[in-house]
Amino acid sequence: MAVELTPVAAPLQGGLVDAASRFFLDNPDWGYVWSNRDAILDATVVTVQLTFVSIVLGFLIGLPAGVAEVYAPAWLRVPVETVGVVVRAVPILVILIYMFYVFSVSSSPFIAATFALGLRSGAYQSQIFRGAIQSVGEGQMEAARSVGMSKLEAIVYVIVPQSLRRSIPGFQNEFTIVLKDTSIAIILGVTELLGTAEDLFLQQNRTGTALELILAISLVYFVLTVTTNRGLEFAGDYFGVPTGENA
Amino acid sequence: MSDPLLRVEDLHKSYGDETVLRGIDFELERGDVEILSGPSGSGKSTLLRCVNRLTEPDSGTIYLDGERVSGAGTDVNELRRQVGMVFQDFNLFLHLTAAENITLGLRRVKGLGKAEARERAMEHLDRVGLADQAGSYPAELSGGQKQRVGIARALAMDPKLMLFDEPTSALDPELVGEVTSVMRELADEGMTMLVVTHEMGFAREAASRMMFLDQGQIVERGPPEQLFQHPEQARTAEFLQRITQLHGGEST
Amino acid sequence: MSYAEDLRRVRTREGRSVGSMVLIALGGLFWGYLLLRWLINWEWVPFGTPGEPLVSPETLGLTGGTATAFQSLPQLAEGAYITVLITVLSILLGLVLAVPLSVARVYGRWTKYLSLSFTELIRGTPLIAQLYLLYYGLNLSQFFRGLTQFGPFTVRTPVWAVDLGPLKVQTALWVALIGFTINSAAYQAEYIRSAIESVDPQQLVAARSVGLTQREGILHVVLPQTLRFAIPGWTNELVYLIKYSSLATFITVAELFRRADAVASDTFDYTAMFTVVALVYIGIVITATRLMGYVEDRVALPGLGQTRGRS
Ligand SMILES: Nc1ncnc2c1ncn2[C@@H]1O[C@H](COP(=O)(O)OP(=O)(O)OP(=O)(O)O)[C@@H](O)[C@H]1O
Ligand SMILES: [Mg+2]
Repeated sequence: MAVELTPVAAPLQGGLVDAASRFFLDNPDWGYVWSNRDAILDATVVTVQLTFVSIVLGFLIGLPAGVAEVYAPAWLRVPVETVGVVVRAVPILVILIYMFYVFSVSSSPFIAATFALGLRSGAYQSQIFRGAIQSVGEGQMEAARSVGMSKLEAIVYVIVPQSLRRSIPGFQNEFTIVLKDTSIAIILGVTELLGTAEDLFLQQNRTGTALELILAISLVYFVLTVTTNRGLEFAGDYFGVPTGENA
Repeated sequence: MSDPLLRVEDLHKSYGDETVLRGIDFELERGDVEILSGPSGSGKSTLLRCVNRLTEPDSGTIYLDGERVSGAGTDVNELRRQVGMVFQDFNLFLHLTAAENITLGLRRVKGLGKAEARERAMEHLDRVGLADQAGSYPAELSGGQKQRVGIARALAMDPKLMLFDEPTSALDPELVGEVTSVMRELADEGMTMLVVTHEMGFAREAASRMMFLDQGQIVERGPPEQLFQHPEQARTAEFLQRITQLHGGEST
Repeated sequence: MSYAEDLRRVRTREGRSVGSMVLIALGGLFWGYLLLRWLINWEWVPFGTPGEPLVSPETLGLTGGTATAFQSLPQLAEGAYITVLITVLSILLGLVLAVPLSVARVYGRWTKYLSLSFTELIRGTPLIAQLYLLYYGLNLSQFFRGLTQFGPFTVRTPVWAVDLGPLKVQTALWVALIGFTINSAAYQAEYIRSAIESVDPQQLVAARSVGLTQREGILHVVLPQTLRFAIPGWTNELVYLIKYSSLATFITVAELFRRADAVASDTFDYTAMFTVVALVYIGIVITATRLMGYVEDRVALPGLGQTRGRS
């Protein structure tokens, strides 16, 4: 069984010293990066879309799963927990392959990647919501039941709204993780930021500008993560409700 | 109608091998204000919670207004609509303002419209003296204010019976009075109330009857003066004497 | 029934011990097989053929994808070795960097900002982009290719690396180790920082008041408490590294994922190959979590809390 070990980077010549000295001492070729700014911008849009759709899908999976882990009877809770444990133990790379080649959810790499990132995010979001629900405290459920609400009504109108607010910090983490991990969709050939950078330096045979391209897209990722974090912090303050522990 | 408002028959409850209630029988007439007293762990909260089935009794029957409300074929949610509950640690909905705490049940359970629910909520907040705090979140209220909202929330559902589980125990002493005075008004208006409390001043002034619970059984029951002055049981005498020393005669 | 009661019902002793016995038995089989396979592949034992399964799939009557997967088990085991190697080395090396980084972050004057910029830059960009930067951008692999011929970087040749001829070991592995170490250092520094911050500041005051210097106080009083706080975060980090070590495939390191991918893209037996791979990852992850849970119980001090979570 031949395992392919030939480096993809075979065309790369020179070494660290060459690369670094060219970059720092001679002339970094930002012109090539700049001339491809449209491609990078398009890729940024793809990355943002992939992140956003995956997070939403993850939310649609994770919120009910989190509620089920706390309130569902064993016949539902145990399978939900088990699927969660499995999905959280497997690399996203394997989940991507699974969605595309095994489940063949779509012939579009973008959609398959969305399913993979969404499912994985759902498995983590379920834990964020479970933790938040558990931190809400039993008294809230009892108070809701004591005015005659059903268990489902209590969950929908009292427990979930409070846990959503409590999940914002965890959600912030999750958002940046998904954003960063969209880059792994490169395995399916999605032309997000990293994939586009790779195309620009490998396929167009501009291996010399790999450093500039990777730095450029890293900057985009950095700006996106920082913006997302600040944005969600703002959302947290905005939707935040003063909560004393005992009320 | 000659049925009592609440009738509890032979109620039993255990947790594992720990028996908490061992055969509780009593009745409340309309307008009764009954104090439930007894040492810690005697089963007071459990009994109260069995009445609106927040805790499900192991056996026994509960009748509200002549109708059986426990056991097979009965609707817990319907029971709870008719029985209000006030908690020791308030349990206000933290994500909702004082007014919204009240409208939630009115809208979701009673099915009132937004405006009507709002109006009712304001009436009840006014009744407990908190109309000006309608827009405050629980974390912005003092303990006494929280508890008054808790009472208003329960009252707004138009309950036939109100249950209070140590409504003033979590409050600083100077805030106890504002809650007991609301409860006293309620008693004067004829609300039927079952109250667990150590406030003996409130018991003396507002209660029509008092029962003393120990080890899951009703040890003694009667008008407050009788229990305070001529208790039949030594256990009752000893407990009430201690509690009176701690929680004073007159409530402020 | 209340939620708390529910939990108590689920977490009964009996339920746990039966479950753990099965789990321990499965774990024994799993690691026993891997160990045996590694020994055979490296010709450290006088039996078995490197790279060949102990029995042929035909003998077992296997066909199709199952046969392919079975036939590939030796390669997958070898890949699992690289996966474990990357994980263990980078978490340990990362820890070595993370301790000074976090101390600088909390107690440093200007080093605080150095540490902050480093962790924020690393945590704000994808790990795979960092690997690309080292491998394609800086061409580190070539750099190591030059170095392996000298002493310090030659290691014992695993059988699978023979294909690489005189280089003995994949230079890309070193690039991956550097990438994962740097990345993990940033995340571990965050865990340790928040653990340091959750240690009562009075502890340092108390240390100073018995005459310790600031440095001694940090070293002997704050850090020992901190490291216990940091264990749950550390468990997360370990699990994270196990899974994300698969990204080394992008810079050609022949770890677990790449082995399976190579076979699957030849034979199109994606289902069988990646099911086995998923199971191997699950095995490693569950083992790591259990072991860390055990460690946590052992070093727990009464009255000291926990921190958690990677982002
Ligand atoms: N959910 C539960 N699970 C197990 N045991 C319980 C539960 N709730 C109450 N108990 C036990 O039942 C007994 C009676 O409790 P209960 O809360 O009714 O006492 P109480 O009279 O209200 O006491 P206190 O004055 O302290 O509030 C106690 O021994 C308690 O430990
Ligand atoms: Mg009680």
